[in-house]
Amino acid sequence: MNESTGIQYNDLPDELFTAAEFNEQTAEEVGFSNYSYWRSTLRTFLKSPLIRVMLIVVTLLVAFTFLYPMISDIDPYSVSLSASDWNLPISAEHPFGTDGVDRDIWARVWYGTRTSFILAAVVAVMQVGIGVILGSIWGYNKRLDPLFFGIYNTITNIPSTIYLVLIAYIIRPGFWTIIIALVSSGWITEARWFRNRILALREADYNVASRCLKTPMRRIISRNIVPHIMSLIIMDAALTIPSSIGSEVFLSFIGLGIPSEWVTLGNLVNQSRSSFTVYPFQMLCPTAILCIITVSFYIIGNRFADASDPKNHV
Amino acid sequence: MGRYYLSKLGQALVTIVLVVLVVFTLLRFMPTTGYFSKEEYKEMTETERNAYLRSIGVLDPTLVQLKNFVVKLFHGDLGRSITVYPKSPITEVLGDKIKYTVLLNVFSLILSYAAGLSLGVAMARYKGRLVDHLGTAYVIAIRSIPSIIILFFVQVGLSKLLDLPMMFYMDQPLSWILPVISLSLSSIAGTAIWLRRYIVDEENRDYIKFARAKGLSQNYIMVRHVFRNAIVPIAINFPSDILLLISGGLITESLYSVPGMGGLLIQSIRALDNNLVQVLVLIFSTLSVFGVFLGDIFVSFVDPRIKLTADPQ
Amino acid sequence: MREKIFEARDLEIQFNLRGRVLTAVHKASIELYSNETLAIVGESGSGKSVFTKSFLGMLDKNGYISGGSLLFEGQDLAKLKTEKEWLQIRGKKIAMVFQNPMTSLNPVKTVGEQIREVITWHFGTDKEEAAKEAVRLLDMVGIDNPEVRYKQYPHEFSGGMRQRVVIATAIACRPKILICDEPTTALDVTVQAQILQLIRQLQKELGMSVVYITHDLGVVANVADRVSVMYAGQIIEYGLVREIFKDPQHPYTKALLESLPQLSGRDRALHSIKGSPPNLYHEIKGDAFAPRNPHAMKIDFELEPPFFQVSETHWAKTWLLHEKAAGYRRQLAEMPEPPEPVLVKAPHTGDPLLSVRGLTVNFKLGRREFSAVKDASFDIYPGETFSLVGESGSGKTTIGKAIMKICHTNAGDIFYEGKKINHKLPRKELTEYRQKVQMIFQDPMASLNERAKVDYIISEGLYNFHLFKNEAERLKKVSDAMHSVGLLDEYATRFPHEFSGGQRQRIGIARSLIVVPQLVIADEPISALDVSIRAQVINLMNQLKKDKNLTYLFIAHDLSVVRYFSDRIAVMYKGRIVELSEAEELFAHPLHPYTRSLLQSAPIPDPDLERGKQVIVYDPSQHDYSKNAPFWSEIAPHHFIWANEPELEQYQRELAR
Repeated sequence: MNESTGIQYNDLPDELFTAAEFNEQTAEEVGFSNYSYWRSTLRTFLKSPLIRVMLIVVTLLVAFTFLYPMISDIDPYSVSLSASDWNLPISAEHPFGTDGVDRDIWARVWYGTRTSFILAAVVAVMQVGIGVILGSIWGYNKRLDPLFFGIYNTITNIPSTIYLVLIAYIIRPGFWTIIIALVSSGWITEARWFRNRILALREADYNVASRCLKTPMRRIISRNIVPHIMSLIIMDAALTIPSSIGSEVFLSFIGLGIPSEWVTLGNLVNQSRSSFTVYPFQMLCPTAILCIITVSFYIIGNRFADASDPKNHV
Repeated sequence: MGRYYLSKLGQALVTIVLVVLVVFTLLRFMPTTGYFSKEEYKEMTETERNAYLRSIGVLDPTLVQLKNFVVKLFHGDLGRSITVYPKSPITEVLGDKIKYTVLLNVFSLILSYAAGLSLGVAMARYKGRLVDHLGTAYVIAIRSIPSIIILFFVQVGLSKLLDLPMMFYMDQPLSWILPVISLSLSSIAGTAIWLRRYIVDEENRDYIKFARAKGLSQNYIMVRHVFRNAIVPIAINFPSDILLLISGGLITESLYSVPGMGGLLIQSIRALDNNLVQVLVLIFSTLSVFGVFLGDIFVSFVDPRIKLTADPQ
Repeated sequence: MREKIFEARDLEIQFNLRGRVLTAVHKASIELYSNETLAIVGESGSGKSVFTKSFLGMLDKNGYISGGSLLFEGQDLAKLKTEKEWLQIRGKKIAMVFQNPMTSLNPVKTVGEQIREVITWHFGTDKEEAAKEAVRLLDMVGIDNPEVRYKQYPHEFSGGMRQRVVIATAIACRPKILICDEPTTALDVTVQAQILQLIRQLQKELGMSVVYITHDLGVVANVADRVSVMYAGQIIEYGLVREIFKDPQHPYTKALLESLPQLSGRDRALHSIKGSPPNLYHEIKGDAFAPRNPHAMKIDFELEPPFFQVSETHWAKTWLLHEKAAGYRRQLAEMPEPPEPVLVKAPHTGDPLLSVRGLTVNFKLGRREFSAVKDASFDIYPGETFSLVGESGSGKTTIGKAIMKICHTNAGDIFYEGKKINHKLPRKELTEYRQKVQMIFQDPMASLNERAKVDYIISEGLYNFHLFKNEAERLKKVSDAMHSVGLLDEYATRFPHEFSGGQRQRIGIARSLIVVPQLVIADEPISALDVSIRAQVINLMNQLKKDKNLTYLFIAHDLSVVRYFSDRIAVMYKGRIVELSEAEELFAHPLHPYTRSLLQSAPIPDPDLERGKQVIVYDPSQHDYSKNAPFWSEIAPHHFIWANEPELEQYQRELAR
């Protein structure tokens, strides 16, 4: 062992063996850590170069999509009767070429992306919004359990694609049909998920403490609940985007999508599929843009979920 | 114990009744054009059409229609297809189709579980290494890219690469390969990623740490404790997975022109065949409700704790 | 002669955390002799668990041994690289029992199977033979019907029984060393006493050496032959158990022992340790305890002290033992005790502040309904501290919640200042009631909103009851509240997760007290705190009681604190109050057999009293209530008990003696 009898310490100055000043603040300070939830979440989230690249790409894509109609005067619907303009290859004038009736694919991709983005964003906002609101109501009213569980079992027991198909079949195809179809099946899973979170939060001691202090409901929600589920809301909204874009493509494939006169990513992909072997670029270009969007949002959403878990703040 | 099964069965039955009610009611909002073939519709006059609709009972109150439907159902009569297979009884139509779907799905189920479980275990075992990264990339691709795009490229790409037929023919075994792969892709991803997550979760449990402290080897713990426990939540999906493959089948069967159940739904939707859509949706939903029920039963054999907590939540 | 069988020498363990390298254990050394129990005492974060986990090669993935050696049977375990080499040691020669028995067993395997597999694995015994051995082991750790229990699953066992199974698993290979990492912390006191007895008995029977890790000095006094004290990743003092308890040398050991309520006079404030235990992020210079030691010397901030010998078996790592410190030591000894505030004792007379009559609360668990509280009646008088004591699940917290109006009641009345409150109150009355009755929570980690600043948390009540006229007044009140619990103004803008457990608990107290309540329900306010800061919080609560004329309903399981803190005590068992009396009277004349068992089980931090103590196990079937029904009666002035006629007579005879 390393005990020493103190011999080698004999030349220490006597002055050191007198009382030191006691500072209450340093005594307290040793217990501190300068941890901050959002700072750590962001740091963990942005640590990966992949995420930083994806965030930049997604930001640029979104910005470009919405700016494009302003900076370009190419009409994505204009057709040509002259066969020499059909199916043009990639060129400076037509970066993605033209399709079978001379519509500029580059322009169509951006208009399509815009439609799909708007669709996905509306779905995300509605689905997560309804989910959060109904989930909170559910979480705070045990009496509603039978009702909500009935709905939950019914909707989730029907395979989601079948449900989508059925709704889209009953209401005639269109932009809002897809939104209604997606939101009406998606909200209950969101609501259940938020209900579980809220049940857990509601019984947490700090909320019981607020109840004991008679904090009004609206402040409990705004100060105690929402800040704790904010990261979940962000993540959920991010993940709803690729899934609703995917559903649009699927519905378009089985003929229940937005009518084919509209430009959407789903229609672009599906219309160009038949001519893939002859003009592969007509399909590859829109597909590439679509995949960049869905994959980025998927990864961003998932990584954000991981980063928002304090356990991963290492 | 018996109580647990009864309560689960009760839940399943209630759900099926609800599903039937919802689907049936929703389909009453459909335009009545779906009860005529195109030619018929053009030939008949308004009164003739109404007379016909009345004769097949479509204009009755919904509840009466529901009663008739259920009564017929118990006699094994699913009604007749209208536009897709004009006037043929749906039972006959399905009888022809079902064998293709079942055959393909059996193969795909075997493939999904074999590949999914191995990939999941490999990813968890070599966490943070190459297998894990490749597996994660695969899962991300499958889950974020619309499946129609992936399946289309699988069809086009693999058929060229491996020189396999692009269409399905019952009597050419080689032509089965691509549809089976297509059907399995997404469930492989699902099984693998969940198994990986469960294994990683299990590994952090106190009892796994205690098992390590007992001096058992990593491999022994992996097989006897971790995998054994991690497979439970996977097993719960096993029965319904069999049935849920049908929805993946929608795209696959249509791409490869498989004359099966999934393709049939798309066909009937495109042809606005109300009766057929109704029967198919009800069949698919009922099957998956029973899948969930069987999953619950199945798991209660694997996990001794379940029988005690009969609460649905 | 005792034989050294294990030695850790200058062990250094580091962790990679958030991109930094942190030292969790610094130059720690222990020696372990055959047939002895060595206790390692320390608070959370002192590195005691990490230190002992390294003996089994079981550090977390981001931790590693960066120096020193672990000598066992002629080899240096610190040099072992592969899992395979460890498998020869782990479980077979050095075994470990974990803290939480509820999570230590695999829920989907039978307990027998989990014991059997160790035997088969290490000795290659065939299944049947190993199964027989497993049954013998179950029998050995005191499990009745071992053959039947062998086939059962963990969820069919209670916490104490599970810990017995875990112990049976650990001793299955007859290890040389058994490491017990806080094995009783998650258990109730009476169960704890039984498990401690079992460990002692097994240690003798099997001739093992036991390393016992704990933060509870009472438990140390019970089990240990020798003690090592850890603080901030270092061993700062070690010696025979009597030497540590009777003649502590390191200022930390001294302060820790002095802060225990058992060893303090009833009428004096507890000796509290200032500040908070250090976390690993802080660089340690000199003596680790110096920043919290009001009598530290200058050298304590400059240079890490070496070990100085006190006796042949007793060493301490403090500059106080240096010969040049002799003068300062004398100075310290002559220093007068600082004047301590005296506890206020309240007479329980006059009109009660709170009356509970026949309170019953039922809960549904699946289909089963059970009574969490059965027919509870008691009064709390203004200015007194009334304690509810019982094990987990005894219903004490439920009573607190019912009074707090955050839990339903099924029967009975609760009166506050004579007004019934357990029904729907008009808005105005509810607001008044909420302001008058406040609660302090058990877990300071869960009871503060992580996403709000301290300023908002403390002001919450001010906003709700409109207790300020303008912003300046609010800030003044917050600042006053923070001062009164010993927190600095500048903490107001920080978030809760920056604080340690004790600091957070003080924030929670400030939040409750800022609305100037009359009655404060304190639900186990110190049980989640580190030992060194419990006294702080207890003193603070006493001080506030005096300054603000508070009345406390104190809910606890730790009898030593209850005895020190309360005027009157009610003992609860399975939802029923079985005995209620003045604190001193209860400790002097416990009548109900459960009260006796509870008092007997509580470990006392004095090895002379703890050793050879017999455990009384309370068996509820000893009451024969088939002929004579029990009832609640006052057996002596202010002394109530739940008993039937024959029992009452017997208790009366005992009281007369």
